[in-house]
Amino acid sequence: MPIQSLIETRNLVKKYGDKLAVNDVSFEVNGGEVFGFLGPNGAGKTTTIKMIVGLLQPTSGSVKVAGYDVQVQPLQAKASSGYVPDTPNLYAKLTGRELLRFVGDLYDLDRAHVAKRTDELLKMFDLTAAADDTVDSYSHGMQQKASLAAALMHDPKVLVLDEPTVGLDPKSARLIKDILRQMADRGAAVCLSTHILEIAERMCDRIGIINNGSLVAVGTMDELRSLGKSGETSLEDIFLSLTGGAEEAEIAEILK
Amino acid sequence: MTVSAPLPTPRFLPVVWKLIRLRLLLNWNTFKHAKVGRKIGTIVITLLILAFAGFIFFLSWLLLGFLHSPTIHQYTGFDAAPFLQAVPVLVFAGLFLGILFSSFGVLLQALYLSGDMDFLLTSPVPIRAVFVTKLLQAVLPNFGLIALFGLPVLFGLGISGHYNFLYYPLILLTMVALTLAAAGLSALLVMLVARVVPPRRVAEVLGFLTATISILCGQSGNLYNSMSHNVHVSGTQVNSLFSLLIRLNTPWNPLDWAGRGLVDLGEGRWLSGLLLVVLTLGLSTIAFSFALATAERWYYTGWAGMQVVARRKRPARAERVQPAQTVVLPESAAAVRMRRLVPTPVQAIVRKDFLVLRRDIRNLSQLVTPLIFGVLYTFMFLRPGGGMFPDQPDMPRTLVNVSHFITTYGNIGMSLFVGWMLLSRLSSMAFSAEGKNYWVLKSSPVRTGHLLTAKFLVAYLPTLALGVIFMVAVSIMQKATPVVFLYGLLASAMCLAGMNGLLLAFGVAGANFNWTDPRRMNAGALGCLGQFLTSLFLAFSFSLFVGPLVLVALFQWPLVYGYLVGGIFGIVICGLAAFLPPWLVRKRVERLNEN
Repeated sequence: MPIQSLIETRNLVKKYGDKLAVNDVSFEVNGGEVFGFLGPNGAGKTTTIKMIVGLLQPTSGSVKVAGYDVQVQPLQAKASSGYVPDTPNLYAKLTGRELLRFVGDLYDLDRAHVAKRTDELLKMFDLTAAADDTVDSYSHGMQQKASLAAALMHDPKVLVLDEPTVGLDPKSARLIKDILRQMADRGAAVCLSTHILEIAERMCDRIGIINNGSLVAVGTMDELRSLGKSGETSLEDIFLSLTGGAEEAEIAEILK
Repeated sequence: MTVSAPLPTPRFLPVVWKLIRLRLLLNWNTFKHAKVGRKIGTIVITLLILAFAGFIFFLSWLLLGFLHSPTIHQYTGFDAAPFLQAVPVLVFAGLFLGILFSSFGVLLQALYLSGDMDFLLTSPVPIRAVFVTKLLQAVLPNFGLIALFGLPVLFGLGISGHYNFLYYPLILLTMVALTLAAAGLSALLVMLVARVVPPRRVAEVLGFLTATISILCGQSGNLYNSMSHNVHVSGTQVNSLFSLLIRLNTPWNPLDWAGRGLVDLGEGRWLSGLLLVVLTLGLSTIAFSFALATAERWYYTGWAGMQVVARRKRPARAERVQPAQTVVLPESAAAVRMRRLVPTPVQAIVRKDFLVLRRDIRNLSQLVTPLIFGVLYTFMFLRPGGGMFPDQPDMPRTLVNVSHFITTYGNIGMSLFVGWMLLSRLSSMAFSAEGKNYWVLKSSPVRTGHLLTAKFLVAYLPTLALGVIFMVAVSIMQKATPVVFLYGLLASAMCLAGMNGLLLAFGVAGANFNWTDPRRMNAGALGCLGQFLTSLFLAFSFSLFVGPLVLVALFQWPLVYGYLVGGIFGIVICGLAAFLPPWLVRKRVERLNEN
């Protein structure tokens, strides 16, 4: 079976007034692949992700999700993707079950399927006991899990996650990592941004590093190693050398 | 192992000063970085407030000086002295009670719900300093407001009565002492309540009650005025009021001691004056110190408890009953037809919005306003002689006909007015109400048309229901004919649809997703413009339906022509207003929340 590119960004540019947030970013994420998006704070990760899921319109360039241009065929593109934001802002006064039903209805899924899938997801994320409590009574981790459950409601071909493991306990973080891997193994494209290099190194098949709005490197760990200076084997060293943080790391070493 | 020297405990007053300075800096920065128009507005408002205070001062000076004049007593026999002595008593008692009650909500917000509490309570600063700073921040606006009215009056009284110099600085000192005592007691009440009920819930309920009571109080004046057309204030009533004020000034009431003491001091009765003022200052200090000492123990535990309570509202469902699996009943034929008519995403958004509106009590405080207005205005409209044009015996026959028509169809106008108020909240804030959750809708495959339709229905359905209930009630009371009722219903439904379309479009144009308190979601000027324009549309659409009826009554043509022309014009124009504005902003909907 030929490898299908499920996320495709071409010369993506986003400007806020005079400020260039994303500059000419192009990359692809194939089905069956977990793609890690790394970069320092304010590098443009969230902006790029928001353009992929249709929350932001690019200034120029294009994004295709599951073969659909997000600008031209937004409904088809959105129907194929699921999104988990960095902050799980969910309807505080809906219960977990109501939230999942609402999302299922937004995707126009069959009622019986929505009910079955809701029960499955609640069980999978250990939210069954709190399913009929309103979201505002959930802890941050529970809200994050509810957010991921909502993104998986329609079993998307493309899953985009912005810092998915922030604020999660090790058990929940492990659960999410396992689910993402399973999704990829079933042929979905998973694109996640993270600050935790260990997660990127262990989970991601390919990694893209963005700095000051520009994609400075894309590839597998081996390909990234070949880009770095000789002797740089860890993702942390490669990341710091590509994003200009190596000097700060040296200073920190001296201060120890 | 090196043992570090113990850190010195930070001193109380310097920390309070640091925290207050931080607040001042924040306010200054807000002003400095504001737009020029806002800066000018702030300066103008400040100058106007100062001018107003000056005006009150001169007015009090002149008026109280006039009352001090012996000529008044000579010619009218009215002895103003006891009344004048009661003025400071009234001001100080008002200040104490005003701060005590008005501070509750502000202190609840400042002590428990402000965003900087985590930062402050984890910083090495005494909890007492945090408490005092929060208290001052919360109370200062109310204190300023009361002082704005009270100080000029008290200074005016002093100057007009030639009170001695000690009177003036002691006014300020007593005011501050009473304010701190009242605020301290209010804070203790807040802490007591916060230990029992989650502060967020208390704030929600308080907001609802305050809004309802304010509207009821505001409208009770209108109702009273409308029931008694001519309100005359007689000399007897004025005398009764003065007597009441004088009777309130009693030596056994601690609230009166401050005012009585200051008057005694001002008029040279040193012993009683000093005794009462010292007693007031002493009691205020004791009350404030008690509040401080108790706050130190209660505040932290209450605040820490709040962090848990928020997540412990109900025991998990699993502990109550065995979690139920979702049971899917077979879809009824009506449900299938409904799904064909109204797409599932539209139904989902409507259902979600109704659930959220119903469950968030902060929304209810805004939605209750139209209901109160509706009930009050219906009563005013339907009471005997309450029509728009009460019959006059010498009125020409044609005008009598027109007047009866307008009175008969006035219920449409009232229904529209009540509907307009409800729509102003539901429709113009339909998108803003999504707040930070808007990403859920925006990242979902929902058509713009479906989204607009859903938001239209969320505002329209309850408004229409309220309008119908209103029309039915009024029609029964007016014994309206079925034709009048049905025509009124049609007119009401169409006009509300038109207003809804306009308000929805303005709501899209001025959408604000960055709010935490629902009462602040309508922050833009576009919302006000939308409400103004739709109030004009209200009058216009009402005249479209009722105007032809008035014309046929004037020219004594068959009534059916009036219904036909009014109906056709009304339906077309209102239909266009319902459809066109949302259609015009559809592209904007696709780009909402992208800045």
